[in-house]
Amino acid sequence: MKKAKIISAVVMSGLLSIATAHASSIKIGFNVPLTGFAAADGTSALNGAELAVEQANATGGVNGENIVLVVYDDQASPKEAVPIAQKLIEKDEVVAAISGSYSGSTRAAAGIFQEAGVPYIAAYAVHPDITRAGNYVFRTSFVGEVQGRAGAKLIGETLGAKRVAVITLKNDFGKSLAAGLKESASDYGITIVSEYEYGIRDRQFGPIVSKVKSDKPDAIYASGYFFTAGPLVSQLRAAGITVPIIGQEGYDSQKFIDIAGAAAEGTIITTSLNRDSESSETQDFIREFESKTGNKADMVAASAHTAVKVIVAAMRKAGATDKAALRNAIAGTSVVAATGTISFNALGEVLKDVQVQIVKDGNWHEHSVISDAKLLAPPNQ
Amino acid sequence: MLYFELFIQGLVQGSIYALIALGLTLVYGLLRILHVAHAALFTLGGYIGVIVTNATGSFTLAMVVAMVLVGFAGMLMYKLAYQPLLSKPPYVSLIASIALFIAAEEIFRIAFGPYGLSYQTPPLQGQVELFSGFYLKYAEILVMGLSTVLLSALAWLSMRTRTGVAWRATVTDPDMARVFGVKIQNVRYLNFFIGSSFAAAAGVLVALLNNLVEPTMGSVPSYKALAIIVLGGLGSIRGTLIAALLLGVLESFGTIYIGHLLGRDAIAFAFLILVLMVRPQGLMGGKL
Repeated sequence: MKKAKIISAVVMSGLLSIATAHASSIKIGFNVPLTGFAAADGTSALNGAELAVEQANATGGVNGENIVLVVYDDQASPKEAVPIAQKLIEKDEVVAAISGSYSGSTRAAAGIFQEAGVPYIAAYAVHPDITRAGNYVFRTSFVGEVQGRAGAKLIGETLGAKRVAVITLKNDFGKSLAAGLKESASDYGITIVSEYEYGIRDRQFGPIVSKVKSDKPDAIYASGYFFTAGPLVSQLRAAGITVPIIGQEGYDSQKFIDIAGAAAEGTIITTSLNRDSESSETQDFIREFESKTGNKADMVAASAHTAVKVIVAAMRKAGATDKAALRNAIAGTSVVAATGTISFNALGEVLKDVQVQIVKDGNWHEHSVISDAKLLAPPNQ
Repeated sequence: MLYFELFIQGLVQGSIYALIALGLTLVYGLLRILHVAHAALFTLGGYIGVIVTNATGSFTLAMVVAMVLVGFAGMLMYKLAYQPLLSKPPYVSLIASIALFIAAEEIFRIAFGPYGLSYQTPPLQGQVELFSGFYLKYAEILVMGLSTVLLSALAWLSMRTRTGVAWRATVTDPDMARVFGVKIQNVRYLNFFIGSSFAAAAGVLVALLNNLVEPTMGSVPSYKALAIIVLGGLGSIRGTLIAALLLGVLESFGTIYIGHLLGRDAIAFAFLILVLMVRPQGLMGGKL
């Protein structure tokens, strides 16, 4: 693990120096949190993106030229992301860029890439306004609301639970998920019996756990990332609450299971990565990611891998010099990637199925797939 | 029943705050330094606790090792960072302290990885029914029990031993204490050792409650503990304890009943502002 990290650091610095040495290689920008609170997700995302670049270069790059990832640490902070976007555009002159970061920084950077006419793909940031920055901005994962609506269907229809307690992470991610869930709740006969909010730095949920216990819901819909959800789920279970807990892609990491331990068993999430998928694309990704990093694959890595793959596919079609042509090629994407078959709607939002995964015997496994195109329709404008 | 449960949850959280804030108040009382990097020692304690438990299987050993090692780390921090700055105005050591804290977060990330660490088999996870319908986790009982023991031991040390007398004398009047033969330097080391080891205990306990230690786990305590010692009346140990428990309970109820208006951290600071408007010297502080 440590060795892998050192190697990846060496490879990364190697890539960066290549970026300055060979002007002929094709540069793709990548803003990602490598320090600060989101460093864990950022590191995974970077590993996923690097893997995709290695694979693309091993299969001939783009028209014989190698692809190089130009990486900057944005600490998941909007005020870091803005100068990084400017640097990527003006100094590094990237042909396209990817956000391997959270909504706040991605939103801030999106407008700058749009203005410069540089195609920009958000790998896993959920805020709806990101793609509204303009026609050069795309997203390869679900808007929060879409995933929230999928959660409503999962709870009300698949699980048949009606009284739901909602625990919401107070940021773009959690709030948009809760909004989607509430929007579709009545369609599936769900009543929201109570709702609580917590901050991203909270790890101790004693009071919320006590209150949820007294609410006696049929199911709990809790948004969060693995580092909040791990403690939350383990504390809910430790208090003797046995009803299903439904999470989302933020849980999607082996770390969630490491933290919550036995309490993680049976947790169900809506996400983008299906570990039991029969697609060779997905299985190849999972295998190669594990052999490259020594870590199990997760949603952020798969999403960053997917985003690189989409850009490379578009470059192979339209070349890497004309950004407008590249943008049009991305808009017309139809690629099979690690997270499914990817295409975009008019706003640049991805159209794909929602994967439902469950923790069984200490690993994520397929629970079901939600492929209701009407329910999952992302915003169009 | 729910109110009682929320109250107990508040005390659990308050006990953690008390253990952390105590070291801060001790340092402030003695040296007038706002010791922000104290929160880094709390994180270090959590890491040592998890690593030693995973390596040896003994949680008790892990707790002891964490408290001792972090105690020494605290002394080292004083020796290297604060002692050379004692003659400078207080804000100089504050800046040094903030820098230390930020550096420590990144060192934890580089040394232990960005993903954080967890107990492989978390100890004390069961719960016990104390009376009909009221359950408490063993870990939560340990939090309250250990905090009580540690704080009582400290009270005994400071009130009933010669070391304690020397310590209190130094806080009250360092020059006079020196004249009476108290070795000021030793008192300062002891002060840092105790404060830091209490923070380590809090770190190990938090790791137990969450089953997670992360590089950034000190970020909330770093400023909330400051709020607590201001609330308690700077340098007052009794005030700090009362403020810590009070804040724990307030946050517990606040999270449930006004959580959609004010987040947990906002509640702490709103309360701080309210108290300071009425009592600018804090709950237990002397006259300003």
